[in-house]
Amino acid sequence: MPVWQRIYEEINDPDFVLICAAQDTGGEAAAGPIFDAAKPTFIQVIDEDHLVSSAFNFVNVPSAAWIDEDGRIVRIDEGTYAKVHELGVGDQAISFGTNVYEPALKDWMANGAQSRYVQPAATVTGNIRKLSADQQRADAAFCLGNLFRRCGIGAKADQYWKMAADLNPDSVNFIRQNLTLSEEGSAGEQFRAMREEFERTGRDYYRPMDIDN
Amino acid sequence: MAKAFMAFPELRNPFVAKEIHPEGSATVLYQGKTITLSEKGDGDGLLINPEYLRQINGFEIKPEGACFKDLCIPLNDELLIEQAGRQWFNLAAFADLLDQPYVADVAAGVWSFGEIPAKRANMMVDAMAPDLELVDRQGEVVRLADLKGKKALIVTWSSW
Repeated sequence: MPVWQRIYEEINDPDFVLICAAQDTGGEAAAGPIFDAAKPTFIQVIDEDHLVSSAFNFVNVPSAAWIDEDGRIVRIDEGTYAKVHELGVGDQAISFGTNVYEPALKDWMANGAQSRYVQPAATVTGNIRKLSADQQRADAAFCLGNLFRRCGIGAKADQYWKMAADLNPDSVNFIRQNLTLSEEGSAGEQFRAMREEFERTGRDYYRPMDIDN
Repeated sequence: MAKAFMAFPELRNPFVAKEIHPEGSATVLYQGKTITLSEKGDGDGLLINPEYLRQINGFEIKPEGACFKDLCIPLNDELLIEQAGRQWFNLAAFADLLDQPYVADVAAGVWSFGEIPAKRANMMVDAMAPDLELVDRQGEVVRLADLKGKKALIVTWSSW
């Protein structure tokens, strides 16, 4: 989050709007402190129902859309890391993310429609996920579960979250949000098994980031 | 310094429900909003007072049909229903007609509706950003449609 604040400040353009939306049923308690630590001046949304993911057919975080001055999407559904993140040390060290996204974003700011990172509509629509009827229904089930969760009716909340995950098994968001309630959390053994399953079956949770250096 | 409202996070999103509907009514979820209906008609589907339609999904009853912007769905006797001199609109039948997905917990009286495909046709065909309304942490409504003339980057993330 601090990286996005830095990028936002460096762009420093009143005609640039940055919206960061936490896909977090944990609400303010879960996502608020992370926002606050970055002292953000961009628009912050705590999106308990994952509305942004529903609107753009995203299945994982971080994902993003670039929207131009005419309301046209010019890039979508990439692993939107603002930099390479490195965690752990020694054998446990891992890194993820990319350093190519930030320069591409700044190029768009500088060159607008002439930026080589602006994609034609056909590329964008090709990258928007086409969801089956069941997958579209999953979002409704998820929101229904969220209402029951907020009302303290855990059994029904679990029932509809499971329904959502069953209807849209491609949603990493649903799988990992659900794992937040497990003892091992969202990045434990089940998460690793899920990633291996996605790799084994050739399913993606981001579109390829078609950005050269 | 944090503003006063920061102490009351439950007030940040006025659309987010904190409880199920009262006895005898129904609750409708759509695009992050929770609409509590004080009454509903009897019968299959979800029979709502037609006056609620606009609040729920933006459609309005007009002589030519149920309309949203340029899209008008002609009304028929499966959508508009007369019961004991009262008129009801069958929201579930309307969703079926629009291929709008939904999940209902009939016992609890809660109906959760997904995206309306026709409202997103411009995104799937021409890459136009969808109508999306969000509430930010300060309680301000953010509409993508209001960002015309600016470049916008909308990024999802999570704490998990």
